[in-house]
Formats: sequence, structure tokens, C-alpha cells
Amino acid sequence: MTLAGRMWIASAILAALVAAAFSALILAVGAQRSATIREERSNDVTVATLQLEKLVVDLETGIRGFTLTTEERFLEPYEDARRVLPSQIVTVQRLVVDDPQQRRRARLLAQQINEYIGDYAMEVVDIVRDTPAIRGQPLLLDEGKQRTDQIRALFKEFLTTERRAADAAARVAEDRADRAVLIGGVGIAASTLLIVLFGVILARSIARPVRAVASGASRVAAGELSLRLPTDGPGEVGELTRAFNDMAGRLEEGRAELEEQNEKLRESERMKTELVNIVSHELRTPLASVLGFTALLLKREFDAPSRRHYLGIVDAQARRLAALLEDFLDMQRMEHEGLDLDTERVDLASLLDEQAQLYSAQSSKHRVEVALEQRPLTVRGDPNRLAQVVGNLLSNAIKYSPEGGVVRLAAERHAGGIRVSVRDEGLGIPAEQQGRIFTKFFRGDAAATGITGTGLGLAVSREIIEAHGGRIGFDSDAGAGSTFWLELPDASQEIAMTNTKETL
Amino acid sequence: MENPEPQPSQELDPPSILVCDDDPSLRELVRAVLGPRYRFLEASDGKEALAAMRELSPDLIVLDVMLPGLSGIDVLEAMRADDELSGMPVVVITAWSHAEVEAWTAGADRFVSKPFDPDELSDAVEELLA
Repeated sequence: MTLAGRMWIASAILAALVAAAFSALILAVGAQRSATIREERSNDVTVATLQLEKLVVDLETGIRGFTLTTEERFLEPYEDARRVLPSQIVTVQRLVVDDPQQRRRARLLAQQINEYIGDYAMEVVDIVRDTPAIRGQPLLLDEGKQRTDQIRALFKEFLTTERRAADAAARVAEDRADRAVLIGGVGIAASTLLIVLFGVILARSIARPVRAVASGASRVAAGELSLRLPTDGPGEVGELTRAFNDMAGRLEEGRAELEEQNEKLRESERMKTELVNIVSHELRTPLASVLGFTALLLKREFDAPSRRHYLGIVDAQARRLAALLEDFLDMQRMEHEGLDLDTERVDLASLLDEQAQLYSAQSSKHRVEVALEQRPLTVRGDPNRLAQVVGNLLSNAIKYSPEGGVVRLAAERHAGGIRVSVRDEGLGIPAEQQGRIFTKFFRGDAAATGITGTGLGLAVSREIIEAHGGRIGFDSDAGAGSTFWLELPDASQEIAMTNTKETL
Repeated sequence: MENPEPQPSQELDPPSILVCDDDPSLRELVRAVLGPRYRFLEASDGKEALAAMRELSPDLIVLDVMLPGLSGIDVLEAMRADDELSGMPVVVITAWSHAEVEAWTAGADRFVSKPFDPDELSDAVEELLA
């Protein structure tokens, strides 16, 4: 879940809690107010009821006085009470209109008061007026007392009920107020606690990872590009650390790329220096011979055989210079334009024979043996370029076996191609130099052991063989000689097919 | 190293010269320039040269600076540190003209820069052997 989502939920819970706490408080205040209103109404009911009760007492007093004395003036309280009674009854009934039980009682009360007046009081007054002699008759008074006692009991019941209802309402209101205050207090305390907790969680889930990212950023700025942060943070924090890690990764890749380019630049710088050294030594040495011998021949007289011999040296050295230049130019051309091959069908067997003959004539210490499995061995390629490669390999085999020995040149069909190998019994290639053998200008220990060359032969050879769709490689142990081999696609089958087509 | 043919001679033995160069054609050039008046010993690197000096005590050394392994300067320094060899005259040949100062410092007697004039080398050798 995202951090924003979590914060929304936490805020919503907090808001709900605070709202609930305030609602409880408002409820408490409301309950108290309704309790007060209820109490006031109870007081009103009680007062109105007591007034009504007093009117009833006035009725009875009036009737009693008149019945005992037959004097009309004693009837005054009775007459006054009768006038006021109906409105007072209505007042009481209105006040208890919400309470069905009290309303019933009020109705009963009104009925009994009316009955007292209608069935008893008015009749007694009429009887006493008609027959004044009857005055003071206990029978008349007894019925009145009986009826007022009943009415009084009803009043008592009414007031007691009213008081009890008022008390109950007050208790309920008080309870509700207490509970509301408790809920409100607990709610506010809980909200406060939650707000504090929320702050702590915010600090832990945002501030801490943000601090970690900030300190990570300064470490990355200080160069520690391999630094990665844990990405298990929630939501946006996780996104932030993932983005941070991506950034650090890009920076690291960028730096690695730059370092690689730097390394390449240094390597090309090193090769340039190497080239200058090679030019200064490899070109100047034969040039010194050429210039030295020509100066000698120009200055001094020699007999014909000596002159011929010296001119032969000049010729060989000039050719060596030309070959070196050719290698440089080849390399240059290959680098800039790629190889331009004059491809045709080539019988590798005869090409190898020719090269073997050429090179065996160059060294008296070496014997070049040729072992060809089958003839013809046909490939598609540029015969001059292929001859150059085989020549390079033979020349190397001779140069790198300074003690002399046998150089074996072999060719065979091998895994759908033709494999040519040149084996010598010479110095071999130390394991630590084997990876760089085909690198331009790499000459191993050749310079230190006095072996001449440009360090371009194998680099050029690889370019040529790869341009023919072939492979070139070697197997060697230092001190036990080397076998250089090359593999080219076998074109014997292709020729057969072409021939078949031609005959059709 | 090519061992010299013991040259039977009627009069004095001709002076022997050790030619030290890694390129065979340059060794031959030195031989051709100096001519048949001398007996030649040859070495193709510094180690061979020092060994030949100790064994054969040549009268003069023609030394190329640019040698595989021990350079010509290294050879000069080794000679100067060796009582037996320190007196031998040395003509230094090099294609590196800036090696001249080094060669003088290390104790070369003459310095000839490659490509050299035949007479220059002959004169230097004759002077030293006179």
C-alpha cells in the first residue's frame, strides 16, 4: 500500500476519533439541558397540580361551610373555585400531554372533580337551599368527605408519579452525561495518543528512509557508486530508494563506460608509442644497412663478386623495408576500408606447396615438411591473401625456432572445413602472453631475443582469415613449440555442384 | 657468436675487432667497411659480447647501442666496472643520436651515428689502434 494511502487512512481514523469525542461531549451537554427542561416542566406540573388541589379544598370548604350554616357567604370560596377550575384543569392536562399515564390520571382527576361538583356539590347546595333544616346532616357531609378523600388520593398519586418520573429522567440524563463525558475524555486522550503515534510512525517510515537516502546520496557523491539501499520500504519510500538505486546504477555504468573508454584511449596511446618505436628500430635498421652499403660501394672499389654480394644485401634489406611498409599499409587499409578480396576458387594444396618451397629456401637451419591428406583441397578465397597468411605463419615458425628444426605444414578436411596447420619446434608461447598474440604490435619477448618483425603479421592474418569466413588460432606450450592453425570453409562440394550445373 | 677462424699470418697477428650488433647485415657492413686488415669476432647481444671480451680479449670493440637484453650502454657500464675490460677501446654505433651523451658518460672512446660514413668508422678504428 502506498504511503499516501496509509496517511489518508490514518488521518481519516484520527478525524473520526476526534469527531466521535466531540459528538459525545455535545451529547452530554444536550442530555443535561433536556434534564433541566424536564425538571422545570415537573416543577410547573407540581405547582399547577397543587393550585388545582387548593381549588378542590376551596370547593369542599365552601360546601362544608354552607351545609353547616346555610349562609350564602360561606359559599363564596366554592363559587370562586368553580369559576377558575376549568382553566386550571386544562393547564395541568396541557403540561402532562407528553406523558400518557399522567394524562390518563389528569383526565380521571378532572372527571372526579366534575362529578364532585355535578353529582354532589350542586345537589347539596340545592337541597340545603330548599330545606335549610337539613343543615349539618352528617350524611350530606360524609359523601362530600368520601369524594374529596378519593380526589386527594388521586392528587397524591399524580404528584408522586410526577416526582418519580422527574427523578428517573434526571438520573437517566445524569448517567448519559457521565457516559458522554467519559467517552469524550477517552476519545480525546486516544486521539492525542494516536496523533503522537502517527508522528512517530511518520518519522520512522518517512524521515528515517529519507535520511538514509540523503546519506546514501552524499556517499554516492563522494564516489561510492556501488552503494545500493534496501528497497523494502513502504510505497513511495520504496519507490524513492528504487529510483535512487537506479540512479546509482546508471552512474556506476557511466563511470565504467568512461573507464573503459579511458582504457581504450590509453591502449591506443600505447600502440602509437609502440608504432613509433617499431618504426624507429625496424625501419632504421634495414635502412642503415642500405645506406651503409651504398655509401661503401660509392666510395671504394671492390671486386665483382664482393660488389654483387653487397648489392644482394642492399636488395634484401630494401625488400625487408618494402615488406614492412606493406604490412603497415595493409593494416591501415584493413582498419579504414576493410579487406578487398579478389575471390576465386583456390587449390589450397598447391598454394601450400609453393609457400613451403619459398620458405625452406630462406633458412638452412630449418626443414619445412608438407603433409597433405588429399588433393585438391579447394576453398573460395583471394589466393594472394591466403598465400600472405600461410607465408606469415611459416615465417613466424622459422623466426621463433632460432635453434632450427622441422616446420610441419599440414592440411586436412576437418568438421566440414579445411584445416591448415603449421607446427614448429621452437620457443613456444608463454601462457601469460597467449591472450595477446593476435594483438597489433604485440611481439612477446621477440625484441629482447633479437627476433625481427613488426608485430603485425598475425593481426593481419586474422583479419584476412575472418574476412574469408574462417577461424585462426594456435596451441602452444612455452619451450615446446607452437602449432598455428586456420580453418576455411570447404569449397570442393560447391565446385562439384557448379560443374554439374555446367554440364547440364 | 661466430668463432673466428684462426688466421695464420707471416708477420704480426692482425688486430682483432669484436663487432657487436643484433642485425647480421650490419655486422657484415662493419666487416666490409674495415676491410681485410683486421680479424673479426662477432656477437649478437650484450651477454655474448661480454663473454667474448673476457675469453678472446679483442683489441677493439664496435658496439651497437640498441641491443636485445643488455643494451650497449649496459655493456659499457659492465666493462668499466671490470678491471680486465675497462681498458679496451670502444666505438659506439647507434641510430639514436640522443644516446651519444649516455655513451660518452658510460665511457665510449668514439661515437659514430647510424647511418655512418664508411671513412668515419675506419678513421675512428685506426686512431684507437694506432
